Amino acid sequence: MSLTLQSVGRRYGDTWILQNLDLEVGSGECLALLGPSGCGKSTALRLIAGLDTPDEGSIRINGEVMNGVPPDRRRVAMVFQSYALFPHLCIRENLNLGLRIRGVSPDDQRRRVASILEVMQLGSLAERRPSELSGGQRQRVALARALLRDPLVYLLDEPMSNLDAQLREELRPELKRLVLQGPQPVVYVTHDQQEAMALADRIAVLRNGRIEQIGTPRELYERPATLFVAQFIGRPQMNLLHRETGLIVGIRPEHLRLDREGLPCRLIGREWLGAGQQLLLECSAGTLRMLCDGTVEPGDDLRVSWNSSDEHRFLDGSGTRMA
Amino acid sequence: MTWLLLTPALLLMALIFGWPMLRYAWLSFHANSVLTGLVPVANGGANWMRLLADDRFWQDVLQTSRFALVSVTAELFLALLIALLLDQRWRGRGAVRALTLLPWALPTTMMALGWRWIFNTPYGPLEAVAGFVGLGPLNLMASPQWTWLATVVADVWKTTPFITLILLAGLQTIPADLYAAFRLEGGRSIQALRDITLPLLLPYILLSLLFRLAQAFGVFDLIQVLTGGGPAGSTESLALYAYFNAMRFLDFGYSATVMLGGFLLLSLSILLGALALRLSGALRPLQP
Amino acid sequence: MNRRQLWISLLLLWSLAPMLWQLISSFTTTAALVDGGVPFLQRWTLIHYRQLLSSDPPFWRFLLNSTVLASASTVLTIALAIPAAYGLVRLPQRWLRVSRALIAGAALFPYVLLFLALLELARSLNLGNSLLALAIPYSALSLPLALLLLTAAFEGLPKDLDDAAKLEGMSLVQRLRWVLIPLIAPATASTAILVFLFAWNEYPIALTWLSRSEQLTLPVAMARIAGSSVYSVPYGAYAAATVLGALPLLLLVLLFQRQIVSGLTNGAVKG
Repeated sequence: MSLTLQSVGRRYGDTWILQNLDLEVGSGECLALLGPSGCGKSTALRLIAGLDTPDEGSIRINGEVMNGVPPDRRRVAMVFQSYALFPHLCIRENLNLGLRIRGVSPDDQRRRVASILEVMQLGSLAERRPSELSGGQRQRVALARALLRDPLVYLLDEPMSNLDAQLREELRPELKRLVLQGPQPVVYVTHDQQEAMALADRIAVLRNGRIEQIGTPRELYERPATLFVAQFIGRPQMNLLHRETGLIVGIRPEHLRLDREGLPCRLIGREWLGAGQQLLLECSAGTLRMLCDGTVEPGDDLRVSWNSSDEHRFLDGSGTRMA
Repeated sequence: MTWLLLTPALLLMALIFGWPMLRYAWLSFHANSVLTGLVPVANGGANWMRLLADDRFWQDVLQTSRFALVSVTAELFLALLIALLLDQRWRGRGAVRALTLLPWALPTTMMALGWRWIFNTPYGPLEAVAGFVGLGPLNLMASPQWTWLATVVADVWKTTPFITLILLAGLQTIPADLYAAFRLEGGRSIQALRDITLPLLLPYILLSLLFRLAQAFGVFDLIQVLTGGGPAGSTESLALYAYFNAMRFLDFGYSATVMLGGFLLLSLSILLGALALRLSGALRPLQP
Repeated sequence: MNRRQLWISLLLLWSLAPMLWQLISSFTTTAALVDGGVPFLQRWTLIHYRQLLSSDPPFWRFLLNSTVLASASTVLTIALAIPAAYGLVRLPQRWLRVSRALIAGAALFPYVLLFLALLELARSLNLGNSLLALAIPYSALSLPLALLLLTAAFEGLPKDLDDAAKLEGMSLVQRLRWVLIPLIAPATASTAILVFLFAWNEYPIALTWLSRSEQLTLPVAMARIAGSSVYSVPYGAYAAATVLGALPLLLLVLLFQRQIVSGLTNGAVKG
């Protein structure tokens, strides 16, 4: 099973929301579309689903060209940010409706719905309406509906953005187990780089409708191709130092260390987080963020240094990485 | 594909609203009456010339306008008071609201004769009340000067509930917090009415105004049954005149002319009114 | 009684008195109607009702006609308006705004003016006196309001629902049937009752379209009773007719008052 986007473009008036989008997602692979709001990632998803038509390029699912195929015939499942559960139906009927429409026999309908309710642990909620469920429960129902679709491609549109941090952490492994382990390609849209790093096999960082870089999380972290990617991946944000004109050097906060012979700094801020802590330092090169162990007590004489091999070099202006 | 969904409805509306106007335009340039053996014969602009010189037509324009303006003003005023009353929370509000809706539900012709009797001299209850208070015989239904007021009363009775509901809808969109903030600033209830309620209610008032003026222009049911246009044609409306021309005088050409002429006058007044409102800036709170 | 209760009483008096007067008159003898001096106990009679029920055609016939016409109009209007409203909502913004303006204009149109052309149509197509045929222009007249209310209802639905239904494999018809139409049910009910009331109340077009006594709708029949005699107005009979004719309508309004109110309210807010 595979999903291919070739030179896909989508325009709105004179502005191009997406341009020259080339993506390939293989069998069992999860690709995250990562980027700030307005970068076009949700549009890309809608194009794959058939809810929108591209102005340029082609979309292929399992090798078949999908241009012109309406969404109800694409066999694509999508989990919406709002979950899009039918409010007038109880959970069981919500799950059943699609099966019934697609002509599944009543026995099969019952069997499959019962099975998914058990897998997703929704049995006790089956007769309730969506409005009576919590956010996390609704998300599981939306997921269940997608699983029942038995699709060729899974599309997930920021499915966890409406949930609080704790729920997100609890649901991530469940999501991975149920959806990401299957043979279908999965496209996961998010603006949360941590989520993308945790769940995806590869990440495509989008900006203003174009792909800045595609690669594994490790690749993006260790060798960001542009300044934008470097600053988007990794929390806290990478420190940027302007060296000679035309050159920007980046160093990640976690790569700074206290060194008696290093650069002298002044402590101007501190966030203690338990296992680790974030220090905000002022030095001759500018302001630096530093990530270190929580047990460290910054004294009066602070000096920091780092390995030059941990540095990332970018061209000022274009932001592209220098070898 | 979307167009397929729209076509039947749009087609039907275009037919029923559009065809008559086209037909009237054509008819108005033809003589089509008993004199022509009920066959249309082109007569140039003769109908229109006749219309311009027709005193009865212009009298009806004045009467209909008078009726519409007075009626709608009274309705707006009354509806506002009732809406303010119904907007507050008190027990039985829902039931009272339902009961006040009843006049609107009944066909005009149904209550029209009833009103004729209520206003009847010397047997009607209005006369009885007037006698009680010491006023002389009113003879409201036989006065070329005052009978039109009777039509206004009957119209106000029937259509006020409709406007009340619209204004009530508008009142309910005003957040209660606004009044609270106003009070904290030191304002009093009457001022609140003027400074908060009326400005925010303006779109709804204009909506009701527009709707009711257009409807009142076409008043027919009430006049035909309540007064028949009399006494001495003092309550005759444009629609009734057009009806007489068609059904009584069998002059279809002229009837079409009357209707078209009246409609053009109405459209013109609405456009001018809208323009005046725009220029005066009263519509500014409505701009998105 | 505090001030508010006073206002409420006045309001109820104003709204209900004329109808109550009709009720009282319908049971009053003709003699007592014109002579306040008739002793109280001798004022009452059922003769007006008897006259009405034994008339030719019988009074309930008019109620039936109105009901048939109103039902047909309502069904036709809703059947046309729901798909059209859905189609309108899917239009690009500019078209939607223009359409809305045109439809609002049609809603303001004084429909009484249409009587002549519709009369000609009725005569030339030989459809005069057909109640079902009359339902067609009635639908056209009700469509503007229906479209305004139903487009607002469809717009109120979250867009994701339609998308999710598409991805579940549902065609347009299936989406309408299983998801969209059920979700706008309250608005549909409001629209239906408002259309129904309009059809019951309509007069000028019914007046010119229908001529045979057995086919008359209630408003036309009432007007005929009012004008039936040049010399004396059968006021008692008319009052009885008012009571009998009003009862079904009053019941309808009281039963569905919530839908009526929400229909008009939504129309006002979104229009």
